[in-house]
Amino acid sequence: MSKFLLLTQREIQERLGQKGFWYMLVLGPIVVLLLLVALLKAADQGKQELSVLIADPGQIMDHRLMAQEEKNIHYYFLDDYLELNEFERGKAYQEFDVLVELNEKVLNNKKCFVFYRDQLGLDARIQLKFQVERRLEELIASQHSNLSEQAFRQIKQGIIFDFRDLQDPKNEAKEANAWAGFVLGAFILFFVGLYGMTIFRATVREKSNRIVEVLLASVRPQQLMLSKIVGIGLVALLQLFGWVLLLALGFVLLRQTLFLDVLDPSNWGQGGPERLNPLSTLVFEQLNLSFLFLHFVVFFAASFLFYGALFAVLGARSGADADGQQFLLPLIFLVSFGIFAGIYAIYYPHTLLSQIFAYLPFSAPVLALISLAKGVSLAVYTKILLSLLVLVVSALLLLKLAGRWYKNSILKF
Amino acid sequence: MIKVAQVSKSYQRKLVLDDVSLEVPKGQIFGLLGPNGAGKTTLIRILNQMASPDAGSVSFDGQLLSERHLPLIGYLPEERGLYKNMAVRAHLLFLAQLRGLNKTTAAQNVDQWLQHFDIQDWQNKRIATLSKGMAQKVQFIAALVHQPQLLILDEPLSGFDPLNVELIMNEIKALKAQGTTIILSTHNMKSVDEICDHAALLHQGQILAQDTVQNLRRTHAKGRIFVRFRGHMLSFANALWTDFTLLEQKETEAGLFDCVLQIRGERSVNDLMRSLQDHVAVEHIELLLPSMQEVFVDLITQKENQDV
Repeated sequence: MSKFLLLTQREIQERLGQKGFWYMLVLGPIVVLLLLVALLKAADQGKQELSVLIADPGQIMDHRLMAQEEKNIHYYFLDDYLELNEFERGKAYQEFDVLVELNEKVLNNKKCFVFYRDQLGLDARIQLKFQVERRLEELIASQHSNLSEQAFRQIKQGIIFDFRDLQDPKNEAKEANAWAGFVLGAFILFFVGLYGMTIFRATVREKSNRIVEVLLASVRPQQLMLSKIVGIGLVALLQLFGWVLLLALGFVLLRQTLFLDVLDPSNWGQGGPERLNPLSTLVFEQLNLSFLFLHFVVFFAASFLFYGALFAVLGARSGADADGQQFLLPLIFLVSFGIFAGIYAIYYPHTLLSQIFAYLPFSAPVLALISLAKGVSLAVYTKILLSLLVLVVSALLLLKLAGRWYKNSILKF
Repeated sequence: MIKVAQVSKSYQRKLVLDDVSLEVPKGQIFGLLGPNGAGKTTLIRILNQMASPDAGSVSFDGQLLSERHLPLIGYLPEERGLYKNMAVRAHLLFLAQLRGLNKTTAAQNVDQWLQHFDIQDWQNKRIATLSKGMAQKVQFIAALVHQPQLLILDEPLSGFDPLNVELIMNEIKALKAQGTTIILSTHNMKSVDEICDHAALLHQGQILAQDTVQNLRRTHAKGRIFVRFRGHMLSFANALWTDFTLLEQKETEAGLFDCVLQIRGERSVNDLMRSLQDHVAVEHIELLLPSMQEVFVDLITQKENQDV
């Protein structure tokens, strides 16, 4: 076995031998699931009261939505086109908060615009989208196929809801999907920060107990550093896989217990579910999970190499005087910066700053996953691949540089 | 075996090794001596290729020292550490494999050494549960488990109780008998006197002296002679005349004396024997050589006086 593999294997074995790893593996997803359930329950309490006007010139929806409407959202129908200016300024329309514009070909082109006066909460967006989409699906299924709604939903293409601010109608959507992508990106940085600290501590420990002197008589410092980053990175990835698996299982359980699918006939007569399942709709139907997960892994690996090198160098610089530890705080700020850049990009996706953030190695993972979750065109996807390339090249350059810093620092006591 | 030629090394503009040259003969125990901060650790790190010299070269068996020689070198650093959560056997296996042994050979060697030191019972113990002395033994095994041709031991006796010091000294001698070349860096001059064949004294990055231990001691001999005789002390003192000064005397039994003399001028042991032969019965006579401790102090003092 090569020395690199041997060192990597030791790192993995050490982490897997720690009880903390297994506790975190099981408890982490449980906490996340509990938080999500609490979030949805809380969302039921303080809902945004909304009046929604649906401009339906083709009378496609036949003046009705699904049977189980949300009490906080009131829908009204207009059997005609409505100019945006008129909706914005017309006296008759001031009582409406939202305009849903259904063109006559919506059943074919599967796209509708949603204009709002004030920023819509995530829950309101999901509810609105859910209600309108279900009704349209019902219509498509009944008019264009012999399939049941349930069977149709298995094979359907999602309807694109383009949420736009009335004050800025050309602005693109800031949808729930973007937040889902943000959560995934933040997960990357969370795990990178968490396991980056593990790299830092492991390096400090090796240095302070002087095993490093024995190791360096057999391997090159760069090899030692890289094996530590890769070993701990693989453990982090393993934990992430575990989380994803347990969270997916949790979602399935939630869907079958708390958030029943009311369109599934087998659930009829079981007593009314507490509410429809916008969460599972988002997770299971609106997000391309396998596509997202693939990119999640790739961006995680590249980010981990990038940040891991920095954490290792700081560990190597930390001696008895702990001078390297002073640099930990700025590094943690850098990790946090990625998260804030993500939030900024959700609200202002087309600013120059958002474009820059997309290519910065510190924030690229979050922004890429936000874009990917929203759904990307070829042009946007090319930009994401370019940002990945920048991240990978930066990580490789940093690893090379860090290897030199690590070598110069690790034997200074 | 090892030839260090005009090696210099600086750290942050401070010259740590200054044109150092030395030769370590094959199959010998070479004492690398010097006060703290003399540059021993830096030289050892260069031999282990943890650092590279700014100038000069190091050769191993006539070849320029390179990474492929690492499996032929064993190293026990002064500041030792082990992974506290690993079991003894697993740790030794890990280090043996890092030194280039395959898993099977590594396992065979580890088991053999555990048996040799009669510590098979420790094999599943975590390092954290071992006493300091036990951990030192594990570290000693780790340095030689891959059967190196060159073994570099930096203060190998520190932390051991007298019994284990004896054990380790015997192991070092046994390794030499098997043909292993050993570089021993130590402050324990008694061990240098006892087991080193050659020695070099490093001071402020420079080699002050290097030779066989016997030659170093002879070179720094102070002209002291030990004499054991039967007879009268007065006769003995009269026979010395002005050529020898009596430094110490002790009557070990009635009429039997042990004395230490200082030679004055150009006199020799033979001159002393000729002076004594008609006055006392000499049982033992020996030119006293300084210990390596005295050689060490002598050389450093000379150097510091020169610098002043």
